[in-house]
Amino acid sequence: MTQATAPAELPIESLVRRRRWLRLPPAWRTPLAVIGATIALAWVIIALVGPLIWPYNPLTQSAHLLQAPSAVHWFGTDELGRDVFSRVLAGARVTIPLALLLVIMSMLVGASLGAIAGFFGRWVDETIMRITDLVMAFPTVILAMVVAAALGPSLFNAVLAALIVSWPGYCRVTRGLVLALRNADYVLANRLLGYGPWRSLRLDVLPNVVGPVLVLASLDIGTAALLLSGLSFLGLGAKPPTAEWGSMISDAVQNFSDWWLGVFPGLAIVTLVMAFNFLGDTLRDALDPRTASIVGKAEQV
Amino acid sequence: MNISYRKLRWAVGVATVTCVVAACGSSGGSSPAASSSSSPSLVVDTYFQLKTVDPSREFEGTGQMVDKALYDTLITFKGADTTTLIPDLATSWSLSPDAKTLTLTLAKGRVFSDGSPVTSADVVFTLDRVAGIEGNPSFLMAGVTASAPNPSTVVLTSKTPNPQLPYILTSPSLGILNEKVVKAHGGTTTQKDAAETYLNSQSAGSGPYVLSSLNVSSQVKLVANPKYNGPEKPTYGTVIIQNVQPPTQKINVQRGDAQLALDLTGNQVQGIGGNLQVSAGPSGVIIFLLLNQSPAISKLTSNADFDTAVKDAINYPALLPLAGAGTQPATGVIPTIFTGSLPAGQGLAYNLAGAKKALAASGLAGKSVTLNYPSDNSPSGVNMNTIAQAVQSQLQAIGVKVSLAPQPTATELENYRDGKEQIGLWDWSPDYPDAADYLNFGPGALVGLRANWTPAKAPQVTQLATAASAAGASDRAAAYQAFQKAMNATGPFIPLFQPANHLVVAASVTNAVYNALWTVDLAALGAKK
Amino acid sequence: MRRSSRHQPGTAAPSREDAAAPAGLPPVGAGEVIATAAVPTDGAKVRSSHPLARYLRRRLGVSVLLLIGVTLVTFLLTNLVPSNPAVANLGQQAGSDPKVVAAFNAKYGLNRPLPVQYVIYLKNLLHGDLGTSLLTHQPVLSDLGTAIPATMELALGAIVLSTLIGVSFGVFSAIRRGRAVDQGLRVISLIGISVPTFWLALLSYYIFYYKLNIAPGSGRLSPTMTPPPHVTGLYTVDALLAGQWSTFADAAAHLMLPTLVLTAYTVGLLTRFTRSAILEVLDQDFVRAARAKGLPSRIVLRRYVLRAALVPILTLIGLAFGSLLSGTVLVESVFAWPGIGAYAYQAASHLDLPGIMGVGLFVGIVFLAVNFIVDLLYGVIDPRVRVS
Repeated sequence: MTQATAPAELPIESLVRRRRWLRLPPAWRTPLAVIGATIALAWVIIALVGPLIWPYNPLTQSAHLLQAPSAVHWFGTDELGRDVFSRVLAGARVTIPLALLLVIMSMLVGASLGAIAGFFGRWVDETIMRITDLVMAFPTVILAMVVAAALGPSLFNAVLAALIVSWPGYCRVTRGLVLALRNADYVLANRLLGYGPWRSLRLDVLPNVVGPVLVLASLDIGTAALLLSGLSFLGLGAKPPTAEWGSMISDAVQNFSDWWLGVFPGLAIVTLVMAFNFLGDTLRDALDPRTASIVGKAEQV
Repeated sequence: MNISYRKLRWAVGVATVTCVVAACGSSGGSSPAASSSSSPSLVVDTYFQLKTVDPSREFEGTGQMVDKALYDTLITFKGADTTTLIPDLATSWSLSPDAKTLTLTLAKGRVFSDGSPVTSADVVFTLDRVAGIEGNPSFLMAGVTASAPNPSTVVLTSKTPNPQLPYILTSPSLGILNEKVVKAHGGTTTQKDAAETYLNSQSAGSGPYVLSSLNVSSQVKLVANPKYNGPEKPTYGTVIIQNVQPPTQKINVQRGDAQLALDLTGNQVQGIGGNLQVSAGPSGVIIFLLLNQSPAISKLTSNADFDTAVKDAINYPALLPLAGAGTQPATGVIPTIFTGSLPAGQGLAYNLAGAKKALAASGLAGKSVTLNYPSDNSPSGVNMNTIAQAVQSQLQAIGVKVSLAPQPTATELENYRDGKEQIGLWDWSPDYPDAADYLNFGPGALVGLRANWTPAKAPQVTQLATAASAAGASDRAAAYQAFQKAMNATGPFIPLFQPANHLVVAASVTNAVYNALWTVDLAALGAKK
Repeated sequence: MRRSSRHQPGTAAPSREDAAAPAGLPPVGAGEVIATAAVPTDGAKVRSSHPLARYLRRRLGVSVLLLIGVTLVTFLLTNLVPSNPAVANLGQQAGSDPKVVAAFNAKYGLNRPLPVQYVIYLKNLLHGDLGTSLLTHQPVLSDLGTAIPATMELALGAIVLSTLIGVSFGVFSAIRRGRAVDQGLRVISLIGISVPTFWLALLSYYIFYYKLNIAPGSGRLSPTMTPPPHVTGLYTVDALLAGQWSTFADAAAHLMLPTLVLTAYTVGLLTRFTRSAILEVLDQDFVRAARAKGLPSRIVLRRYVLRAALVPILTLIGLAFGSLLSGTVLVESVFAWPGIGAYAYQAASHLDLPGIMGVGLFVGIVFLAVNFIVDLLYGVIDPRVRVS
């Protein structure tokens, strides 16, 4: 028989499990990664499954106003008698897609501009860099309020306002990466062989830039969620009666002593953002071989 | 590694020391306000609606309260009552039979805070200034001219019959200024007036208090006027009015950091016990819905059957707990604290079956309409977001789809005043304590036009409005009631409820009553010995 | 000798822009192209002008242009909003009276065409006049004069505390990489940047003030305390200078809770960034060489590792300070702190155009000043920047 058999003392299942576990890169085997992945996955499932798991309709008002958490309403009821638990679950359907949307749009806009700035240099670079400076010098809240006042408060307009202040970060990083790669030998070689600047940018430089930018984006999802809920807290995002965590906390300010109105949506934000941050960190460790190889060097200092 | 441990310990040490200092500070610093000095001081917490304390320019809630303490008016009210006129700087007055001339006799011997006597010249200057600088309260003097035949008489002449003028004169915006002082600091009776900056740092009135300091976003400090010789000598030598959010007001007053909290809602005062007194009073504010009568803005709200359906579909009793404990139902646009309001039970009522029938008759079932309202407005502590969502859900029950469109007040005001809202949710607080103010809701009047309600659309209501404004003293109440009945039946306004105002007062403070015009009379407060 | 302004990837002197990227990405080369010095050909020592001075002059010029750009953008944005400041700031009756509205518009210069308004604004700006607030009726400059020190107090406290704690944690975490302490600190810093500031402010206010009565109430001082005589505008400093100990203690007590809330986020950020900056440096040859020379770990850490990692860390501290100064709306609204964030929010919601422009200008100045100072420090700390 050519097939190897396991020694009699060791059960096959545990060996198989261990091999599967060991196949994961080392960075993914930390408790941080496992916790982050589990929580993030749980929230995504909650958002996807949606109405199937809500005990009550998040929009249904009742006469049981401001009731403390009980067996009937696990997280209590709010000032219009709606079930807070259902609203917290429903909030995931709002926050997660919008945070992803914001990150993707910022990345596309910022990275494109940054790549162009880094690659073409000179006055293109100067112009784009000055524009990013200008945008970064602008106070986020005022910008968001003005956008909301001009276009009306809505979740999409909040994303728009957040987009305007988020793209410069990607722009700068991409520019830096592109600047480093622009004079690499293989790029110069291909230019000598006749590649035009756009082709060179697309085929030689961008593929090497995508990796770190994606890592940056993954780290940014949590920040995007925080930014959007902050804007909703100020009344610039979600319109009532949408169940959104930031606006739920804002309503909680009015009924200060009814602690359950603000605590549970806040915990939802914290766990979601934390999970995505853990994941992003793990991703960075997994993809960045340099920091991974420093284990042990630290001991020598 | 040693060095990092050291750094860490040092950082922790600094943090601990700071905390210790802070703890010492907090225990020592937050001393109760009722100090042991001869005249006690008072801390009042309120959510500021304050732009200025120049009486001829101010017309906001907090400004009214402050100017009531700083300046005296010709006529005033006492306590919570807003129907019985009480003499203040004018001891007596008489209205001519055609209600166009009001003659007032000034009290003798009253002086300003700098010792100079109050004369009719000061009164005329003040009233001319209010009218001339075109500020917020200048409409109070619309069509009225003042003259002073002798130093202790003032004659006010109105172009049209003005029986409500004595009531208008109670407004703290018409507080009498010291002409010489104001003129010395750039004050005039025209738009070139430049005395506001001075009046925001020093007061120039005859009231029981003088202004010590003013910061329109955080704090107003008042000090007893040493030269005051009026009837209401204040008990508290210093009054500090702080700008604090309602939830924090509750905490402050429970801990004794403040003695008065003015903006707590009915829900927030539940369960406040201990040594705090809670007194509630009707606020004189009306919360109402507006249905636009212009087909260009909305085909739904301009349809009479649709309007009837909406009026019947609102579950009025269910809205009361949402607005807070103590909220009263509204019978018409005139609040129940004023003469001429409709008695209880004669207002609009909840009628689900009738609503569905009317909606079917209109043929507009299943369509959608927008509800506009200011998102950052909390009149008398009512959360407009909550009310809007409740209305939305109630209209949903009869099959009308409502989408909410909240905007900050600054932006939404424009839509409201231009008559562009489909359904609007707003509040109205009385400009002066008389039913005549509510003629503004009539066809072709100020608020009526915001619903595009023209006299051509409602000739009968227009007639009733004219009759009410011309009615004599004994017929006024009945005339205004007839006006409101017609408004309820065919008008574009749906009065929802009257919120109450709650005062939370420390046990050491006596005689704190809520007044719909100036919230609380600071000079009338007493201290328990 | 090759005089190139571009740094090779992997060196320990990343440019400021790249240091602005979140922790973890390998700092890549090439930031600003710094003016190269003229090579003396005849042995004369004097160069045409100091390269650092030229660089800074250029930066200053660009900053001024940027400031003008900020005012222009703010002006355009606020005038894009389809509504009417007169309507927003006058009462119900007054706002419906066209005469009153006209008077308001005339008083604040709102009845002139937009480009004229902008030019007038710039002209007044050069004289130090930022206009009069439509909301408070006071000069915007004096409004800012009271609001800025309030936020400055918060920001300074938060940045000092965060730097002390964050950098220590970061260094500690880096040199103990992989161990339990590192994991623990990483989790703590991750939680720090995951908690929404407004929620933390509410929660801490509720727990420490409402329930436990440890912290004092809202605002900068207890209501019965008078502010100390105005020297800097920072109540704690002014009270110390005047010798008013009880006022100092009260101001410090009120400062505690909002500062701690602001610190929570910044500490997380600084810890993470310091950790990765230190880790980058630890891998360098010169650190290995220092170790090989037999220098004690303490010296290696302080003189070699920290000095090299200082530049990106300083950049982040600068940026964090700048964002603390300009973005504290949420914390200030919960604690009723009369700072620039609260002022900006009030101005924006009441369409107080001069107020909004004033705040935009201030934030722009802060941002540009912070960048400028960081560039200066770059030159001081990293000799390569000076000579290249």
